[in-house]
Amino acid sequence: MTTQLAPETVPPTQPGSAPAIELLHAARWYGNVVAVNDISFSLGAGVTGLLGPNGAGKTTLLHMLAGFLAPSAGTVKVLGQSPHRNPSVYRQIGLVPEREAVYPFLTGRDYVKFNARLQGMRDPDGAARAAIARVGLEDAMDRAIGTYSKGMRQRVKVAGSLVHDPQVLLLDEPFNGMDPRQRIAMMDLLGDLAGAGRTILFSSHILEEVEQVGTEILVMVAGRLAASGDFRAIRALMTDRPHTVTVRSSDDRRLATTLMADPTVFAVELTPNGLSVQTAQLGAFRRILAGTSRSAGVRLLEVLSADESLESVFDYLVSR
Amino acid sequence: MKGEGPVGSIAAIPEIARVTFRQLLGRRRTLLLILLAALPVLLAVAFRVAGQTDIERFSHRVFDTITVTILLPLVAILFGSGAFGAEIDDGTIVYLLAKPVPRWVVILAKALSAMVLAVALTAASAGLSGVIDLVPAGSDGVLATEAQVLAMVVGSVCYVALFLALSLFTRRALVIGIGYMLVWEGALSVLLPGIANLSIRQYAMGAASAIYKVPEDTVRLSSDTAFLLAGVLVVAALAIATWRLMRFELPGGTD
Repeated sequence: MTTQLAPETVPPTQPGSAPAIELLHAARWYGNVVAVNDISFSLGAGVTGLLGPNGAGKTTLLHMLAGFLAPSAGTVKVLGQSPHRNPSVYRQIGLVPEREAVYPFLTGRDYVKFNARLQGMRDPDGAARAAIARVGLEDAMDRAIGTYSKGMRQRVKVAGSLVHDPQVLLLDEPFNGMDPRQRIAMMDLLGDLAGAGRTILFSSHILEEVEQVGTEILVMVAGRLAASGDFRAIRALMTDRPHTVTVRSSDDRRLATTLMADPTVFAVELTPNGLSVQTAQLGAFRRILAGTSRSAGVRLLEVLSADESLESVFDYLVSR
Repeated sequence: MKGEGPVGSIAAIPEIARVTFRQLLGRRRTLLLILLAALPVLLAVAFRVAGQTDIERFSHRVFDTITVTILLPLVAILFGSGAFGAEIDDGTIVYLLAKPVPRWVVILAKALSAMVLAVALTAASAGLSGVIDLVPAGSDGVLATEAQVLAMVVGSVCYVALFLALSLFTRRALVIGIGYMLVWEGALSVLLPGIANLSIRQYAMGAASAIYKVPEDTVRLSSDTAFLLAGVLVVAALAIATWRLMRFELPGGTD
């Protein structure tokens, strides 16, 4: 997968081998609402993060890959087959849906065994034990899922999805509700599975989650694929983008004159709410701001980063 | 440890049924249904203890007005529409459908589970009532009891199949079912005898007439016709349910 913005088609990770996941101009709409818009990419073995703000179309995309939604246009293939209306493909797919509900009356062990039996495992009990051990739920496996915390429910869902050792694992917001220790354990698990040649696609709206798990990412915004490729390159694009910082001080006009001389600043606007400062190096600007204002004899009253939300990062990527 | 076992066979049925039983029995409404099923039995005991002289007539009246008119449709519609309904609402249906199990197997497992529970409740209610009030009267009472149990079996199977299929099309299957029970079977089928062909209650009573002479004012179909129509309904409903499940899509959204 190469790093690019708004790509047409991304080649598989392993050139020459058939991609495990392949979308070609895939789209899905509900009436007039376009949830997924003309997306093409292919993935081979490894962990890929599907990043995007809420409402970007991540869940719709995962449901198309899991065969629960037909594409309105284009093609979706998993391991060379269309997953839609094709139950046999689930022998090789594990799915962790975003919705939290799991059969509350079953114990964790019974739930994972239920999955193993429906997968036709020869030793459902052994397979369930192994899967539960992988997510570290041995101590709670004989408790009813209804008594589990949100993080434990997420883990038992993951255990149920990988009990049959699928080639492709699709996870929708898998880290929701997990505490930091559980997150790290889950990230390690996904890394191990990727190392064993599995193809893992997980969605998240939290930048740091994706950063820690996936070296490859897909960024979705408003149904479109805004960027794809190596996380570090995309992170750099995000970091180097123009930032707007609002500064209120005891003398905005004098501070504006001083800031214009600083190389980290490329525009300053005097507004009724203070100074609107444009910088491409947010960290460096923050470091020099206090010293610059002190040397100008100006007292800082308030410093606000106006565009730090993830949505603004995505907006920037789309507008590139 | 890949899935190489009997995937796609009927081996999945007991596993799905086990979960479905627990889903259906774990609801508070099931307790209400059990209490409702106990009502005809309690009335039968009351008639017997009170020493009613015309106990068979009272027993038949309870069967006509409570067991077959209220208990049977209510129990079967609730179990039929609930076999999938809750899973679709809370999203747990994903865990069932993301498996290499043919959709007809899923439908059969769900339908059998709901049918077994509906038959168990309704047939037990009718059977126990009959044993208390009718069987002591002799062989005629035994036949009447057997006929009532048969009516419960046929009626339960038909209602479950129909409303299980309907629950895959609409979240209002239960409301529609109660409307069907009250308006179609309760009022229209009385006023318009011609629609007996489309009344599950008539299938149940027609089936009962195969082994016991049911009063003519309560049955408008011959037993042969009743069995034929009931069979067609069940097969068609389960086939449509399978078709629908194959096309099932997760509730949409923009994410």
